[in-house]
Amino acid sequence: MLTPSVKLTDVSLRYNDFTALNHVSFEVNAGQTMALLGHNGAGKSSLIKIILGLIIPTSGTAKVMGQCAHANQQKSSINLGYLPEDVSFYDKLSGREVLGYFGALKGVSLARIDALIEEFGLGYAQHRQLKTYSKGMKQRLGVAQAILSQPKILLLDEPTVGLDPQASQFLYGKINELKQAGCAVVISTHELSLVESHLDTALIMARGKRRALGTCAELRKASSLKSSIHFDDLAQRVKSNAYLQQFYQQGMLQFDSSAKAEIVKHLVTQCQVFDFDIKEPRLEDIYHELMGQSLCSPAEQA
Amino acid sequence: MLITRLTSPVLIIAYKEICDSSRNRWLAFMGSMFLVLSLSVSFAGSAVTGSLYLPEIDSLMSSLSTISVFIIPLAAILLCYDSFVGEDESGTLLLLLSYPLTRLQILLGKLLGHVIVMLVATGAAFGLTALLLLMLGEHYDKGELIAAFAQFLLSSNLLALTFILISYIVSLKSTEKAKAIGGLLLIWFLFVLIYDLILLTILVSDFSFADQYVINALIAMSPTDLYRAINLVAIDGNNASGSLAMLASSDWGLASLYGLLLLWISSLTLISHRIFKYKPL
Repeated sequence: MLTPSVKLTDVSLRYNDFTALNHVSFEVNAGQTMALLGHNGAGKSSLIKIILGLIIPTSGTAKVMGQCAHANQQKSSINLGYLPEDVSFYDKLSGREVLGYFGALKGVSLARIDALIEEFGLGYAQHRQLKTYSKGMKQRLGVAQAILSQPKILLLDEPTVGLDPQASQFLYGKINELKQAGCAVVISTHELSLVESHLDTALIMARGKRRALGTCAELRKASSLKSSIHFDDLAQRVKSNAYLQQFYQQGMLQFDSSAKAEIVKHLVTQCQVFDFDIKEPRLEDIYHELMGQSLCSPAEQA
Repeated sequence: MLITRLTSPVLIIAYKEICDSSRNRWLAFMGSMFLVLSLSVSFAGSAVTGSLYLPEIDSLMSSLSTISVFIIPLAAILLCYDSFVGEDESGTLLLLLSYPLTRLQILLGKLLGHVIVMLVATGAAFGLTALLLLMLGEHYDKGELIAAFAQFLLSSNLLALTFILISYIVSLKSTEKAKAIGGLLLIWFLFVLIYDLILLTILVSDFSFADQYVINALIAMSPTDLYRAINLVAIDGNNASGSLAMLASSDWGLASLYGLLLLWISSLTLISHRIFKYKPL
């Protein structure tokens, strides 16, 4: 059986009376991307620090490539690439010097550093001090730093915050390339619309607890949000179909994901409709539905 | 790039610290400051007497150490106050800790880098002064002058090392850079001005409790007074005037005074390592 790249089992983390993480379990396999979602203070950064082996969980186990993350921190850090949230590096050093510094600490060759500088489009600015870099250039440098040693696990904390759409797309393109090369990627982010099309699974956290875990399809299935189909002469087409009529609301077909296959079948075979789009609930909608309750006070929830 | 040829993490971090200090012109600024200071004391110090002449080695070393006791701790503080709190604020400390490095290697790398920066700044400034004195001061015994400057450089850099380590401790304990520099300036003020003043007051007063043991203990408890005492003992304190001469009459020999300063350095290294080791992330 394949060893998961990252496996957390029943992990809890407590600071005196405060519970930062409460019995969280998940695993990420090679070639998979998992998005860590949740409000500020939900425990996302603590989870990343546990995977990095920098924090020992109060209970439960955290394994990286099958080894205890904390006990083997030095050894497993070779396989890990990490980009902290809003890192500003060293303003007085040039981009090449920054990569040279972190590359030297991981024993990376100068050829690899030069190749990454070109790959990330920083060649023209490699000798300029970092204080002259834009936010997008610094983030590109940050991701280049994270993949210096061609890691098997990549941990990215808010990699696209403050980036323009083009720069974000560039970064996700790189992340997808790494994923295809077999790297397990964990992305902590608040930018749900951006990450949705790039993730395999999402872990939604609230107040240190796992609120939901699964693929987008599984999360849609678990939510009460409905998918919808709408086209110009929808009312006319479904008028004579009793099965479709039961889903007809507010000028569109609204249905749970469990009914999707049957509805499509009816539209194609009974109504002769071949050209339509299914509007699925977005990850953002599912997130808001799940988090709506979690952010309320216990009294409000009751 | 030289840094990619280095294999020891301690050397890599030290190299980066040196690059940082030279890039932000700290090295040039401090080197110039030390140079102006030592040249003024050496070549213009006698102006207050109404004539210009090159001072005797003993009085030159005494004057240099009297001024350096203020400047060197301040320079070390300004160099290192943000070593850890600055990296913490910018996110690079967390990043460094995710690398295959121990916290001791990070600490030693920074320490080595900062010590080299101080050595270069003081070595260039005081070395150039010594060279000019050798060329222009015909009455000096060359061997004696070189030995005096070598001793002065060694004690100055040990004092700098003490304040580098004090800066690390405060930087590790601070949550903001502003708090770190504020706390360190307070420590500088206490050690360099207040404590020194109290000690000299005790020395010149005739308090019954102020026997030699108490005075020795009071000297040992402050790195700046150890530095003063080292330089006064090294040059034969009889030439020092007033209260400074009393400080030089301490029972400690030169080796014991150096030993005490090294004890300060070892203790501060252990304390800063322990604080860093248990620093929550």
